Amino acid sequence: MDNYHTGLALGVAAGILAGLLIVALLFKKKVLDMHFDERQERARGKAFQYGFFTLLVTTYAYGVSDMVLGRWCDVLTGVTICLAVSLCVFAVTCILKDAYLSLREKPRTVMTMFALISAMNLGFGVMYALSGGLVEDGVLTFRAVNPVIGFVTLVILIVYIVNHLLRSREEEAE
Amino acid sequence: MKNLRLKAARAALDLSQQQLADDVGVSRQTINAIEKGDYNPTIKLCAAICRRLGKTLDELFWEG
Repeated sequence: MDNYHTGLALGVAAGILAGLLIVALLFKKKVLDMHFDERQERARGKAFQYGFFTLLVTTYAYGVSDMVLGRWCDVLTGVTICLAVSLCVFAVTCILKDAYLSLREKPRTVMTMFALISAMNLGFGVMYALSGGLVEDGVLTFRAVNPVIGFVTLVILIVYIVNHLLRSREEEAE
Repeated sequence: MKNLRLKAARAALDLSQQQLADDVGVSRQTINAIEKGDYNPTIKLCAAICRRLGKTLDELFWEG
């Protein structure tokens, strides 16, 4: 393995470790929580099912597109897109069934965190696009992972806010 | 089918959906869904709700 790939592997490992530490800290500080009631558990099970089948379809579609169109994106980006679509399906289904946030999570805190993650990743995406690193030789590079994550968190954030506003209006009308 | 008996029993104790939800350990949306008839709770949750509202299962959940 040359220096470039060693550095890349160490960078990815450091990134994953940092991500895990941040998530562990958020759980410790009770910002994130996994206590759901029985209705939420059932709704999340259904959402997980939809997400799982979406992942099967998108992964296969990605494989077929790579075979038919040739290499159009880095494998890491392709896999991230498949995961992103599946996560969107899971999250949106959960949100529509009021089962996305647990009993102890504070919506405002979690959604602020999502807004920050989204802004940061979309910001990286714009930066890479301006420097020309997003697409090289017609291939979407691994740097597109950031804007994909930013887009997913933005979609979840928008769906959550719109759903919250619509539900509030419905409950006021009742 | 809406569960108006549950809603009435809760209102009689001057409890909000959120208060009842907190007392039985579920989300407010779950209590709302039960009252609207959108969700069929397990016997465990039915019993917890009955205990909190001082009613029997028959009084709140039996459709005779």
